[in-house]
Amino acid sequence: MKATFPLLGYDTYALKTFVEDLGGEVVLPPATSKKTLEAGVEASPELICMPFKITLGNFLEALDMGADTVFMAAGARKCRFGYYHYLQERALARSGRPFRLIPVSQYSPYAFLFRLMPVTFGVSPTRVIRSVAVMFYKAGLTHEFRALLNRRRALDFAGTERLKPRALELLEAARSTSEIRAARRSLRRLLGCNGSRPVLRVGLVGEIFFMIEQFANGDIEKELARLGVEVVFERSLLHHLRHLLHLDWSFYRSRRLARRYLRECPGGEALRTVGEAIHFVEHDRVDGIVHVYPFTCMPENIALEALQQLTEDTGVPVLSLSFDEHTSRTGLQTRLEAYVDMLRRRSRERSISRD
Amino acid sequence: MRVGIPRALLYYRYGPFWERFLAGLGVEPVVTRRTDKELLQLGLQHVSSEVCLPIKIIAGHIADLKGRVDAVFLPRMVWLEDELYACPKMIGIVDIARMMLGDGTRLIAPSIKRNFLWPHFRAGVEMCGSPLRAARSLARARSLLAGPPVALRLEPGEKRIALIGHFYNIEDDYIGQPIISAFRKQGYRLVTKDELPESVLRGRQGFAKSIRWVFERELYNAFRFLVGSVDGVCVLVSMGCGPDSLIAEFMKEEAGRRGVPFLQLVLDEHTGTAGLVTRIEAFLELSQRRQQLTRAA
Ligand code: SF4
Ligand code: SF4
Repeated sequence: MKATFPLLGYDTYALKTFVEDLGGEVVLPPATSKKTLEAGVEASPELICMPFKITLGNFLEALDMGADTVFMAAGARKCRFGYYHYLQERALARSGRPFRLIPVSQYSPYAFLFRLMPVTFGVSPTRVIRSVAVMFYKAGLTHEFRALLNRRRALDFAGTERLKPRALELLEAARSTSEIRAARRSLRRLLGCNGSRPVLRVGLVGEIFFMIEQFANGDIEKELARLGVEVVFERSLLHHLRHLLHLDWSFYRSRRLARRYLRECPGGEALRTVGEAIHFVEHDRVDGIVHVYPFTCMPENIALEALQQLTEDTGVPVLSLSFDEHTSRTGLQTRLEAYVDMLRRRSRERSISRD
Repeated sequence: MRVGIPRALLYYRYGPFWERFLAGLGVEPVVTRRTDKELLQLGLQHVSSEVCLPIKIIAGHIADLKGRVDAVFLPRMVWLEDELYACPKMIGIVDIARMMLGDGTRLIAPSIKRNFLWPHFRAGVEMCGSPLRAARSLARARSLLAGPPVALRLEPGEKRIALIGHFYNIEDDYIGQPIISAFRKQGYRLVTKDELPESVLRGRQGFAKSIRWVFERELYNAFRFLVGSVDGVCVLVSMGCGPDSLIAEFMKEEAGRRGVPFLQLVLDEHTGTAGLVTRIEAFLELSQRRQQLTRAA
């Protein structure tokens, strides 16, 4: 079996480790590019949200490279996401290549551990559980890597960019728990910054795919780091996996905080977006909040109104960025520059008035 | 006490019930006027430009009530039996309404989760203070929930189009009515899901079973039921509507497979009536030509 799955930024490595640990061969499409997006848009319904188009583009490229099994998350509730795989399967069938799409329902962990994965890979459930544990461990590593990278990049952009290929190698190579532990130590040594902190920090919130996939969000973490801003974040594959097993305490905190504005979950990740934003503002004392989401995303458009209210209540500026296939990198940079300028002015004024 | 009800979204299904229920509680229901340009403009100031037209419209209605009434009554549908959900924006608009209204105007928003009447009862108690009165008023209004009995009668020889779209779009003066009159002017009969019995709309055969949005399942079932007996299908989609962007795709494919003419109208606040009418006329011409062809064959 040559398996493929959607690219998820650095967290792709964690998924890859999981599939390989189960004995599957992974075919990863090239990093998402303009070409990927064009192919995806071409094969997608016009009005559907962006993650559909991008992941479909990834799948098409992976099939071209010889993949024959596509794993796609599924499980329909309030949002569109759970229906993706029906339409993606049809679109891929139109491409004429032989393949099998395996929908992985997010909301039935038991079926996943005891039926779906054992049958697909021909292994025992204990083996699956072990591999899941390794994936967890690895997702923890990618999460930490991203956090280290964001801070270090904000302090020393050029130097860190030079170190990045080496760090990615370390990240990719770690496959077993002991290797992952060793890689974590090396990464900390490589990217640690001895307690120094950048002046400006912003919290990144939004729709999960757009928070973790660098192509989708125009590598917003890098662009902000270039401007000397550290991006703090909470959501990544690690927290998502924990959440699916009902083990993510930060989710319960977010839900509690978000109640201030949203009393009922509108689906998707609106509660997390709002809850995390409040947490970043009140606990982490960030200077601003950057909110990323796909154009016409339903839950995030609800969250948007709550975030505006948050700005009104606390004065912390929120930059909401919605992405579609026409979003240009330069346009994004201009908006980020203007935003960071504003944050800088604000923090200067505040430190003056404090003196 | 004056309690406002926005004439938008779920009002088009539960409106009469709500009005009778509130009147029975001894409060004065204030229903906003029918949607017009001004209300839409008002709504645009309050929600992001990316959301669907019905949400923009209801935001306008809510803003219009602000300051005019003591409270706004806006039940929130979260899910119904069989774990059928409402769409995220329908759920979220209630919280947006709370933020819009601020502290000056109370928001009464019973959350409907499976059980429909119980949350209404509790809201009733909140409004009038007397459980007895709330229960009595609810019992009296209840008959309005069922709506008139329906029977789909298809006359032989008439020209028919199935109009598939959310009831709050079709019945809204601003969205649906210009489209309906464009079809009527050409001598077409429009069949909507309102003419189909509940048993059809609630069906769970085939793909309908996988659809977990309550209104979307109804639309899809109506489509499946009607597609064989009409001259064309017109699907009314609001720009920015999530559920429709998906389900319309399934309908489009199926209509294509069966060779039924299919028109998808995407609406937003900029769509002019003139453009729509031209598109509808072109579509009808096409479907007529196709019919002549099949008859000749
Ligand atoms: S959360 Fe947003 S991007 Fe994801 S499926 Fe829903 S609408 Fe689409
Ligand atoms: S179903 Fe579509 S039109 Fe209706 S509220 Fe939701 S997004 Fe808007």
